[in-house]
Amino acid sequence: MSRKPPDSLLPLTPAVLHILLVLADGERHGYAIAQEVESMSDGQVRMGPGTLYGSILRMTDTELIEEVTGRPRENGDERRRYYRLTVFGRQVLALELQRLNAVMNVARRKQLLGAPLAEGAS
Amino acid sequence: MSDHPRPTRLSRLLARCYPRELREEYADEIARFIDDARRDPRNQGRPLAALGVAATLTRDALFSLFASLRNGAPRPIRGRTPEVSFIKRVRSFSMEAVLQDIKYALRGFVRRPAFTAVALITLALGIGGNSAVFTLVNAVLLKVLPYPNPDRLVFIYGGTDASRQLPLSAPDVEDLRTQNRTFEDIGIANTQSVNLTGGDRPDRVIGNFVSASSLRILGATTALGRIFTEDETRIGAGEPVVVLSYATWRSRYGSRTDIIGQKVILNGQPHTVIGVTNAAFRDPAACDIWLPISSASRSWFRRDNPAVHGVGRLKAGVTLLDAEKDLGVIAKQLVTKYQSANLKESVAVLDMRESLVGGSRFTLIVLFGAVVAVLLIACVNIANLQLVRASTRQREMSIRAAMGANRARLVSQTLVESLLLALVGGAMGVAVGQIAAKFLVKVMPPNMPLMGELAPDWRVLAFSFAMALLTGLLFGAPAAFAGTRTNLNGALRTRSELASTGRFNVRNILVISELALCVVLLAVAGLFTRTMQSLNNVDIGFNAEQVLSAEFRIPAVKYDDSQKVRQFMRSALEHLRATPGVVHAAYVGSIPFSGNSDNVPYVAEGQPDVSRDKAPGALFTTISDQYFKTMQIPQLAGRDFTSSDVMGSEPVAIINKTLADKAWPGQNAVGKTLRLKMQPEVTVRVVGVVGAAKQFTMTEETQTQIYVSKEQYTGIFTSVVLRTTGDPDAMNKALHEAIWSVDRDQPIWKVRSLQFLVDRDLAPSRVLVSIVNAFALLALLLGAIGVYGVMSFAVQQRSREMGIRMALGARTTQVLNLVLRSGLEVVLIALAIGVAGAMAAGKFVESRLYNVRPGDPATMIGVPLLLGAVALFACYLPARRAARVDPAVTLRSE
Repeated sequence: MSRKPPDSLLPLTPAVLHILLVLADGERHGYAIAQEVESMSDGQVRMGPGTLYGSILRMTDTELIEEVTGRPRENGDERRRYYRLTVFGRQVLALELQRLNAVMNVARRKQLLGAPLAEGAS
Repeated sequence: MSDHPRPTRLSRLLARCYPRELREEYADEIARFIDDARRDPRNQGRPLAALGVAATLTRDALFSLFASLRNGAPRPIRGRTPEVSFIKRVRSFSMEAVLQDIKYALRGFVRRPAFTAVALITLALGIGGNSAVFTLVNAVLLKVLPYPNPDRLVFIYGGTDASRQLPLSAPDVEDLRTQNRTFEDIGIANTQSVNLTGGDRPDRVIGNFVSASSLRILGATTALGRIFTEDETRIGAGEPVVVLSYATWRSRYGSRTDIIGQKVILNGQPHTVIGVTNAAFRDPAACDIWLPISSASRSWFRRDNPAVHGVGRLKAGVTLLDAEKDLGVIAKQLVTKYQSANLKESVAVLDMRESLVGGSRFTLIVLFGAVVAVLLIACVNIANLQLVRASTRQREMSIRAAMGANRARLVSQTLVESLLLALVGGAMGVAVGQIAAKFLVKVMPPNMPLMGELAPDWRVLAFSFAMALLTGLLFGAPAAFAGTRTNLNGALRTRSELASTGRFNVRNILVISELALCVVLLAVAGLFTRTMQSLNNVDIGFNAEQVLSAEFRIPAVKYDDSQKVRQFMRSALEHLRATPGVVHAAYVGSIPFSGNSDNVPYVAEGQPDVSRDKAPGALFTTISDQYFKTMQIPQLAGRDFTSSDVMGSEPVAIINKTLADKAWPGQNAVGKTLRLKMQPEVTVRVVGVVGAAKQFTMTEETQTQIYVSKEQYTGIFTSVVLRTTGDPDAMNKALHEAIWSVDRDQPIWKVRSLQFLVDRDLAPSRVLVSIVNAFALLALLLGAIGVYGVMSFAVQQRSREMGIRMALGARTTQVLNLVLRSGLEVVLIALAIGVAGAMAAGKFVESRLYNVRPGDPATMIGVPLLLGAVALFACYLPARRAARVDPAVTLRSE
C-alpha cells in the first residue's frame, strides 16, 4: 500500500486524534487506550470496542499505528495485542496539532476563548 | 491489567454483535475489552455503572454495524450485483447477516410496490381482524376478575337436574355459611331496583342487597368511609345505611367529599351514606349502590321464600366439587329439619368467572374461528404470490448457490423477507384491530361482560406479534423451501417448473387447504343464515310493532295499603288511555321478552290435589283489562277481565291455549277452576282462553300461562304497555307526563318499544350471523383470487407444453379441457375435504341452530356447488388464455 501524503488525512476524527495522543506516550493495548482517552478527556470521550477497533483497523490500514510484535509476555498474557505510533503517525499527529494550534491562534486573536467560555461555564 | 487471559463465553457471544470485518481481525480483543469493562474496579458494586457500560456497548455495537453497512468496508466492485458480493461477505448467521437480509428485503419491497401494498393490506386486515377479536376475547375471557384470588370466588345457588341457578332463601344461605367446612366465608346477595328520590327527578338505581361478608369476600375497599359491619347486615338489624359505588357518587353526587353521613331517600326511606367504594371496585352484579340485606323486604328472611343467592370464597385448595358435596350434606339436613323444598335436590357451586362470562364464550370462539380461517386463507394467497416470485428468482437463486451460498442462507433470506412483511403488516394490524374492536363492542350484544378496558395490553400485543410471526412463517415457508431447492444442473440452463409437478405439489396443497377452509366458513355462515330465516318466521303470539313498554315500582312506604296502590294504578291508566296517540293501554306484571316472569304451581280441576312442590308450574302474569287487545294476543274463548272483577268478587283467571289443551284436552276450559298453590292457596275460575305467547325467547316452546287480574292481585312492581298510532318511541314523553300527572315523584324506567325487546332477543344471533357472513364472503373472494392465481401460473408454466400440443394439432377445446380438468381435480378434492370439515363445524355450532340440522342438506350441497362454480370460473379464465395461445409465439419464446 502506497502511503498517502500526511496532510491528506487531515482533519482527524476525534477518536483517531485521541488514540494518537495516547499512543504518543508509548505502547498500549486496546482497553488501556480506551481508558486513557476517557481520563484524558475528563470522561468526555468514551469509546466502546467497536469505535476503538474500528479506528484501530483504519489506522493500521493507513499505517498511522502498528501492532507491536515479539513483545515479551506480561502476566502470562501473550494474546493481548499492543499498538504503537509509526513515524508516519507521529508526523500526522504533529501536522494535526499544528492545524489545531493555528485554529486556536485565530480564536485567541479574536478573543473568542476567554470571556464567553468563562461566562458559559458559570 | 487482566488476570484472565481467555475472554469469557458471554463476552465472546456479545462480540458476535459486531460487524464481521471487525470480528475477523479483533474478535478476541473485543471480547477481552468487554470483559475488562465489566471487571473495571471503578464499576464494581455499582449496578448503575454496569448499566452505563451496557448502554455504551449497545450503542457502540449498533453504530459499528451501521457504519460498516454504510461504508461497506470491502466495497462491491461496480457492475457486480450486490447479491453476489453479499454472499461472499456473509457466510454464516450473524446480526450483520440479518441486517443485510432486511436491507435487501426492503429494497425488494420498493421495487415491487404493487405486491407489497397488496400483501400489506391483506395482512393488516387479516391480522387486524384477529387482533380485534382477540382484544375482545382478552377483555371478556382471559382477564381475571378484578378481585383478590379470583379463582376461589363462587356463586352459590340451588340446583336441580334442570337448572343450576335457582334462588336460595336467606336463612338457608346463612346456615350454609355457619356449618360448612370448605369455605372461608359465604355472603348473601341479590339485586333489585331501588327508587332514588329527592334529586332533580325521580330515578331508579340498581341496588345489591348484601350481607357484610359479600363485600369482604370481593375485597371491596372504600375511597371514603367504610363498608358494612357484621351488625348492620344482621337479619333484623335493619339500619337504614347505604354504600355508594364510585361511579354513582361521581355522577349523582358530584364527588362531594361531605357525602358521608348524609341521608339519601331510597324506596321512600332516608338512608345514611356510610361509604363510597374505590374507583376500581366493581360489583359482579354491576350495581350502583349496596344496601344491607337487613333493609330488604321482610319476606326475604322466610325460609320458604327463596329470593337470594350466595357469594362464597373457597378455602385454598378446595375444588368446586368438594364444596358442592360439603354444602349438599348440609342442605340435606336443612331439608329434613325444616321440611323445606327450597334447597331442591342439591346446592350448585358455580365458578364466578365462568358464570359471568361463560355465555359469551361460544360467540367469541365462533368469531375467533372465522377470523383465523380468513387469515389462513389470506396467508395462502400471499404464499402463492411469494411462490410465483420465487419461481421467477429460480435462476438468481441458482447463481447464488453456484457462487457458494448455502441453502440455509438462501432460506433465511427469503424468510426474513416474509417475516418483515408480516411484522409490518402486523403492526398495521394492531392499529386496525383497535378500531375494529371498538366497532365490534358497539355491535356486540350488550350483555357481553367486559372485565376490563379494551385498551391493548401486553397480551394483545404479544398475540398480534405472534400471529404476525406465524403468518410470516406460514406464507414464507413454501417459497423459502420450495423456491430455494436449486438444481444447479437444470436451473441454470433452462427455466425450471418450480414445484408444479404432480398432483400434490406445494401449490396444489395450498389451494386445496384454502378452498377447504372456504367451504367450512361458508357452510357455517349458511347454517346460521338458515337459522336466522327460521327465527324470522317464528310466531311469537303477539304483535310487537307499535307498542311502547315501561316499568315502575310503587314505593311501599308511600302507598302503604293496597287500596292506595290500586287507586294510583287506576288513575294512571285513565290518564294513559286519554293520551292522544294511544290506542290501548294496559298493565302487565312481566312484559314478554323483558326477562322477567313469575311462576305458580297449579292443580287443574279434575286432577288429584298434590302438594306445592309436586304440582306443575305455569307462568303467572298479573294484567289489567285490555292487555290482550294491546298486545294483539287473540282471544280464543270466554272474555277479558272487566271492571266487575275486583277485590271481593270471585277470583278469575285467563289461561293460554297451551294450558287449556294440557289441563282439559278436548274440553271447554272456560268455567273450570284452577287451584293456585300460592300462600295462601287460591282457587280461580277460568273466564277466558287466549293464544299462546312466548315469554323469554324466540326459540322456547310456548309455556303454560295463567293471567290474573291486577285488581285482584296487587303488587308494587308493574309494567305498562301502550299500543300507539305512530312511532312508539315518540310517546316516551307523553307516557312520563301521564304518570307524573298522578304522582310527581314516581320514577319510570326501561321505557322501550316491544319491538326493541324482541329484536334484543335476536340481536346476538343477528350480529354473529352478519359477522360470520361477512367473513365468509371475504373468504370466498380470497379463495377465488387464490385459485385464479394458482391456475394462471400453472397455465403460464405449461405454455410451452400447450404450444407443442397445439402445434401437433390439438384443438382449442381440447386444451381448454385439459387445463380445466387439472383444475377440477384440485377443486373436487378441496370440496370433499371441506364438506367433511363443515360437518364437524356444524356439530360444533349445533346448539345455536334453530330448526336447522348441522348437516343441513341445502347448505352442505349448496355451498360446495357455489364454491365449485366460483373456483371453476377462476380456472376457466386462465384456461381460455392458454387455449388462445399462438403456438408459434410460445415455442419461440422458450
